[in-house]
Amino acid sequence: MVTQVQPIPYGVGRFSAALVLVILLLLAVIAGGVYALYTQLTEGLVVTGLRDIGTMGGSAWGLYIAFDVYFVGVSFAGITTAALVRILNLHHLRAVSRMAELLTIISLILAAFSVLPDLGQPLRGIIYLFKYARPQSPFFGTFTMVIAGYLFASLVYFFLDGRRDAALCARRAGRLQWFYRLWASGYRGTAEERERHDRASFWLSLAILPVLVIAHSTLGFVFGLQVGRPGWFSALQAPAFVILAGVSGVGLLIVIAAIVRRVLGAHDRLTPEVFRWLGNMLMVLVAAYLYFMVVDWLTATYAAPSHEARISRAIYFGRYAGVYWTSVAALVAAFVLQFRQFMRQRYELSRIVLAGVLANVAAVGKRMLIVVPSQTHGALLPYPPGTYSPTWVEYGIILGLFGLGTLMYVVFSKIFPIIELPEEGVEG
Amino acid sequence: MKISRRTFVKGAAAAGGAAVAGRVIPRGLETLVAAQRTTAPAVTEEWVPTTCWIGKQDCGMLARRINGRVVKLEGHPGNPLNRGTLCPKGVAQIIAVYDPHRVKAPLIRTNEKGIPGRWRQATWDEALDLVARRIREVRAKDPKLLVWQKGRSKGKAFYDEAFVKASGATKLHHGAFCSDAGYRACEYTVGMSGVLHPDFRHTRYLLAWGWNATNAGGNQLCWITWPQQLVAARERGLKVVVIDPRLRGAGPFADEWLPIRPGTDLALALALCHELIRQGTVDRDYLARYTNAPYLVAEDGFFLRVNGKEQVWDATQGTARPVDAPGVTPALEGAFTVGGRNVRTAFQVFREHVAQYTPEWAAEVCGVPAEAIRRVARELGEEARIGSSTVIDGVTLPYRPVAIMAYHVSQQELGFQAVRAMLMVMMLLGAVGAVGGQRVDVGGWSVHENFEKLDQIEIKDPPYNIYLKDSKYFPINSNNSAVVARVMLNPDKYGVKDRPEVLIVHMSNPLVAFASQPDLIESYKKFKFVAVIDPWLSETADYFADVVLPAATIEKYEGPSKASDQYVDGVALRLPAMKPLFQSRGDIDIYLDLCEKAGILYGKGGYLDHLNQALKLKAPYLLPLDRKPTVRSIFDRWARSEGISEGVAYFEKHGVKVKGPIPPEKAYGYATHPPFGGVRHRLYGEALLRYRQEMRQRGAAPLYWQDYTPLPTWRRPTMEESPARYDLYLISYKMIEFKQSRSSFIPLLAELAPKQRLDINPQAARQRGIRNGEEVWVESHNALTGETRRVRVPVHYTEAIRPDTVGLPHHYGLWSHPGVREQGPTANALYFTGEGYVANTADQSFHVKVRVYKGEER
Amino acid sequence: MARYAMVIDLDRCTGCRACMEACKVENNTPQAHFWMYVFRFEEGEYPNTRVWFMPRPCMHCDNAPCVKVCPVGARYKRPDGLVATDFDRCIGCRYCEVACPYGVNYFNWKKPERNHYIDWTDREAGAVLDPVTNGAVPPYKNPDLEKPYGPERRRIAGGGHLKGVIEKCTFCVHRVERGQQPACVANCPLYALHFGDLDDPGSRVSQLLRRRPHFRLLEEAGTQPRVYYLGGKPPGEESRQIEAVRARV
Repeated sequence: MVTQVQPIPYGVGRFSAALVLVILLLLAVIAGGVYALYTQLTEGLVVTGLRDIGTMGGSAWGLYIAFDVYFVGVSFAGITTAALVRILNLHHLRAVSRMAELLTIISLILAAFSVLPDLGQPLRGIIYLFKYARPQSPFFGTFTMVIAGYLFASLVYFFLDGRRDAALCARRAGRLQWFYRLWASGYRGTAEERERHDRASFWLSLAILPVLVIAHSTLGFVFGLQVGRPGWFSALQAPAFVILAGVSGVGLLIVIAAIVRRVLGAHDRLTPEVFRWLGNMLMVLVAAYLYFMVVDWLTATYAAPSHEARISRAIYFGRYAGVYWTSVAALVAAFVLQFRQFMRQRYELSRIVLAGVLANVAAVGKRMLIVVPSQTHGALLPYPPGTYSPTWVEYGIILGLFGLGTLMYVVFSKIFPIIELPEEGVEG
Repeated sequence: MKISRRTFVKGAAAAGGAAVAGRVIPRGLETLVAAQRTTAPAVTEEWVPTTCWIGKQDCGMLARRINGRVVKLEGHPGNPLNRGTLCPKGVAQIIAVYDPHRVKAPLIRTNEKGIPGRWRQATWDEALDLVARRIREVRAKDPKLLVWQKGRSKGKAFYDEAFVKASGATKLHHGAFCSDAGYRACEYTVGMSGVLHPDFRHTRYLLAWGWNATNAGGNQLCWITWPQQLVAARERGLKVVVIDPRLRGAGPFADEWLPIRPGTDLALALALCHELIRQGTVDRDYLARYTNAPYLVAEDGFFLRVNGKEQVWDATQGTARPVDAPGVTPALEGAFTVGGRNVRTAFQVFREHVAQYTPEWAAEVCGVPAEAIRRVARELGEEARIGSSTVIDGVTLPYRPVAIMAYHVSQQELGFQAVRAMLMVMMLLGAVGAVGGQRVDVGGWSVHENFEKLDQIEIKDPPYNIYLKDSKYFPINSNNSAVVARVMLNPDKYGVKDRPEVLIVHMSNPLVAFASQPDLIESYKKFKFVAVIDPWLSETADYFADVVLPAATIEKYEGPSKASDQYVDGVALRLPAMKPLFQSRGDIDIYLDLCEKAGILYGKGGYLDHLNQALKLKAPYLLPLDRKPTVRSIFDRWARSEGISEGVAYFEKHGVKVKGPIPPEKAYGYATHPPFGGVRHRLYGEALLRYRQEMRQRGAAPLYWQDYTPLPTWRRPTMEESPARYDLYLISYKMIEFKQSRSSFIPLLAELAPKQRLDINPQAARQRGIRNGEEVWVESHNALTGETRRVRVPVHYTEAIRPDTVGLPHHYGLWSHPGVREQGPTANALYFTGEGYVANTADQSFHVKVRVYKGEER
Repeated sequence: MARYAMVIDLDRCTGCRACMEACKVENNTPQAHFWMYVFRFEEGEYPNTRVWFMPRPCMHCDNAPCVKVCPVGARYKRPDGLVATDFDRCIGCRYCEVACPYGVNYFNWKKPERNHYIDWTDREAGAVLDPVTNGAVPPYKNPDLEKPYGPERRRIAGGGHLKGVIEKCTFCVHRVERGQQPACVANCPLYALHFGDLDDPGSRVSQLLRRRPHFRLLEEAGTQPRVYYLGGKPPGEESRQIEAVRARV
């Protein structure tokens, strides 16, 4: 082992003025979110745009649930990438695997945080969900258990995967040496250990894949099993959730990887091949999701029962048409962008990143369209249609959550290498 | 120690988080523990009987009182009017009792009138002294210059009778906005004071004529009672034909809907008369024996009289004989010659008169298919079962199970004659006073003094009083406060010399609730002093009161109120469910003190003296005339006078005294002794002809006398002379959620229907390019003066209204209570009053031609 | 054990909404909450128009979607058939609300004491009202609603207890356990509402269901509601709501 005082690569421990500015900005956004949350906790959820379904003409679930679903969806990226690396031996993707795993963990945390403000009694929620949990309830029984399992498995995988780099970082003295040592927990880098490690990671990623599918499907069941909500009640929800998770997760991973590449100058590790691969994966997932949307559209316009037709009308031509067609356009554009590059076998990073951004814009829009119209326009009894306009409180809390996630990401990348250290060692 | 940025940031975040948690967690923990209350103190629960003060029928209530706090009002199970139930207003009034916006103390105005008031609070003494002084002053001049405006004051004996008589005030009431044209028609025609309702227990076929069954009750009943009987009758097979421009009022109870053009009810009734006669379904026996149908009418239109006696043609003897000659068998039809004069029986005149009113003619006028009119007439004829009889409680009576339910429909320009014509339909069928047939008064069949009075009106010379009593303008006069407003603005035109000066408004809100709001506002400026007795600051008080005296709501003794559902008789009292809140006082308390200070309480001819008569107190329970009694003691004396030995304590325990079923001898005109009180029903209205001629002689314009005809005669209503661009009829209606203007601010009710709206047929709306919910101008036009008025209101699509008709509910247009500032306008801002817009009896018309158009708010 | 159900006679209902008010006063529900709601429908085109009315309480379904989805068991089905909400346990996730096909759930978006129609903190009024009402908000606050009910001893009666929890029609459990009828049933001026034990063949509800054709709302959803309608018909595509109460917090 070389005991040299050399800086850990990939910006660990280094703060530039710009970064400080970014961190301050993020803190401001988070502070705004905290203020919004405080307002909501003292006044009640009346400060949001949410209202009762039925006579009150509102939507009881809105931005919070939509973004909860979005964050869970984004968590698709991590474990999928990790699984692809381990199971299919796609070694060129190793460079993004830690980024992806971190994205999974942070987004799952954000997902949990995004549900809490939605509860009328959040403190009760935290305590009673443990004390009185009913697994028969799709959202908080099955789903909570699955997400908890998913998060736990992801954390274990992340821990295992990072031990080697932690050991490498622990070689140098520094303020965080105790932290690296703790993480490394006695990793020696022997061949036997590496082999044991690889095997464990292999089986773990194999095990997490079904958890991934179950988690996103269960989230789909939250909506898909509700016979009382036309537009939700559909067997398509579960698989569509899985696919859209992939779209948003891979898309966001592309964006994050591009930023990391830019900021850290890691052109050598985050090669065009990485992005090509991610871009193609995105293209396939977007195509699959477009397929779901077309099936949905055909079914709705051909012979939908009147209650569902009402919702479809509102989405395709009415109140929600703006959001809908923007999302469709974004998805189609993302697909076209990627497809053209694929057909020409000429890839440009900026286009791939754009596709990733568009995919996420569409994912957010689609999540809102899943959650809200079935409530405002999906009454089985002849209530009049409702309206839902989120307020500054909801936007504030969601922005705050994004800020928090970004901050967690940034802070982590400053205390631990965001990209796997190269095989050779620190000098790489 | 250097604090790194990171540390600082972390510390700040932690501090912030702790602050939030510090606020949230105690509350959160509180909710975790879920607000366990300490064990509740011992609870005393009482049920105090009282009566509802919102509507007009004083439904019996039981107030649930826990530790002195009233928590709920429920229907009194023993009261025949509502039998343990309450309408939404009755249930919701609990919140009104506690309303912090009630007038909390007597108010004295500090700014000018005609604009929203600014007030200073005063003691009761000061406020009552002020009012009493004004009463004294004006009475010294002329008591008639004191005007007392009645609204929903409930205690006829105490206010309408004792106070008015003791003070000599001119009494104004609100029947002209309710159904008084019908009252006059029924009083004059059959001697009963009321309007039309069926013998529900036995009726099989009902014409619901303009009856808003799901929202409004009847002339004497507020709501619950009639719908209960209607629904029970339907379960027994009652068929209901709805005659109304708008279907909503009948709800699901319409077996058939005749969507009649507003203002043409007279034409339809005449066509039905025509058909019944043509069909031959006429109860000749009833007409010959109990009406003036066989009376001989000379060519001048007056009855043939010999030695002052009316004559009939005796069919057997072939000669004219006095109507009361023994053994006379009068002919119902025919033209004869008597003493060289050509005469016809009144029925013959009628028959020839209605020959022109064919169903085809009526179809043109009313917009109802001729085939439907014919069919209804046929069904009426069949269902009436003329000639049949049945036994009720051992009494054999004619059985004619057809009837009309109608009351407020009488408030239109031709209303008086329209109701006469409706009565005539029933008279032709012999259904008046028969089993299952037509009834008029809820209480029983007793002849009202107006049967004679309205027949013997002497038109006087001017000057007239403020509502033109016995004038050449309105000999039969229902006393219309809106007409009073017009008169006050132009007394010379009507031959009125003295304008009243002092006005007491009791539980009434004329500025919003009476028609022709602009006229009322202008006229109220002419009063020198206005005192308002009301629990809230009404709009009338806001603009024009000099003094506001806060009345209590259910926290008082009041009554006695009739609790009769036409089958069971009873009487109830309002009892205080709690002590008056704020500084409010019971109305009777207010009047006792007011009369005392005004010097009219004691002695002969004073308030107490008149109260003895009004309450029909009997020795030894008469009120002594030299002592001011407590209100409770007055009711105690009254109860004992009624034969209730426990006195008022009986009511404090039971709330209502059910006297028992109304026997057939009282309920059915045929069963009274003598039948129908011994009077002859006036098919032919001879006096009306007499009034017409005298009005003409005295130079009254045709508009006043043209509807004084002995037989109902159709003419085009005056409103039809408005220009063609005013192509819609405006009608108005009541909502079940509200009662006039006195409940629109009650938040539990306002929540159900917070805003005014214009009912419009979608076809009519689309023709005018108006979408559902869009705001429009509604502009009314006075066909005689050319004046236009307009309001702005959103529309509400409904297929249940004629395309040429729009409808506005009443109850809106308030501004005083903070809860109702955005309500929208009152329909009364559009209606006109006076010539062309009142009936020949001065009754208010609620019809006017309007146009509806979009346009920017200006 | 009783098996409670409600029977609503559409041939008698005049749409007066007194039941909505009776429920509201009895259960102290805050603004814009209508545990009992009455639809006013119009069908057809002039002049073949039809008007009818339909009260809508909670259906207290035997296969209630709301019970299935409650994460903490705050919404539960009692053996006597009532579907109850324990306001001590509800975490306010509103899953029951989005799951319900009938739209009968109402959430306390606001602090209930600020959501009772009038600002009862008016000082001038408070000086007079408080000695009578003991500061109760609303002043007609029903003391029966704070207590636990049922053999399970859970607090499930009344509304407007605290912000952030869901509530709905309870079939007036606090009255039923005392042997009384629900407030809406007891008050209906046309006696259009009935409530009773289906296991008692002599009860009014049993008799009515035996004698007259009836239907339940949204039977195809499989919820097995305990509210039966006599006469009339279920609302269909042709039923337009008129005079909808659009109150919103």
